[in-house]
Amino acid sequence: MSQQRIDCMYEACPIPLLKALKKLKTMKVGEVLIMETDHSCSITNVVEWAKKQGHEVDYVEISDGEWEIYIEKKQ
Amino acid sequence: MRLWKGLIKKPWPYLVGGIILAVLNIILFSVSGKPWRITTGFLYWGMGIIEKLGFDNTNWYYFSVYGNQLNEGETFFNNQYTILGLSVIAGALIAALLASEFKWKIIKNRRQLFFGLVGGLIMGYGSRLSFGCNIGSYFSAIPSFSLHGWVYGIFMFLGAWVGCKLLFKFLL
Repeated sequence: MSQQRIDCMYEACPIPLLKALKKLKTMKVGEVLIMETDHSCSITNVVEWAKKQGHEVDYVEISDGEWEIYIEKKQ
Repeated sequence: MRLWKGLIKKPWPYLVGGIILAVLNIILFSVSGKPWRITTGFLYWGMGIIEKLGFDNTNWYYFSVYGNQLNEGETFFNNQYTILGLSVIAGALIAALLASEFKWKIIKNRRQLFFGLVGGLIMGYGSRLSFGCNIGSYFSAIPSFSLHGWVYGIFMFLGAWVGCKLLFKFLL
């Protein structure tokens, strides 16, 4: 299973979500997108949005105020 | 303990935040006679700096209309919006520290700096034409039964939509 990474550090809404949207369009079903972000809103709005799109999604706080969001493209 | 952790660590639902903000704004309005505004406070700070440089800007037409004038006894630095603006920063800092999410942010690259500055200028200018930002001119205007809040709301959503399209096409 291949994965792709996007760097959304130091970026605020709506850039992380739009970057994820753009990247997911180029990916195949089953691939995993890993987003690095330090914007706390992203763990709400990106996660909610990805769920609504029907993707598998989870996130982990990798360090204080930094997260990795994992999105598995489902469709 | 677990409840406390959930309270300070997890983002609160939008509905809860909305209700708290609404109640606080009503209290602020009834106590001070002016609802919450953000960018007007920034304007006053800028004007305060210009005043310190020796310009006589208190007589500008802008400060005689649409409630833009300062209250009796207030100055460009010493006014209600200075306290509110600083309190937002202090409150956000406390929340970030409680959640152990505090982090120094840096400017990512020149591109971000450039578009940030251009965007800031456009927003600052726009906020003066529209009587405020999304707080003063939307969040505080609609509950005050002012029509301009609704007009602002419609164009805010249109602007956000167009902005996202442009961002998506040309900047990402």
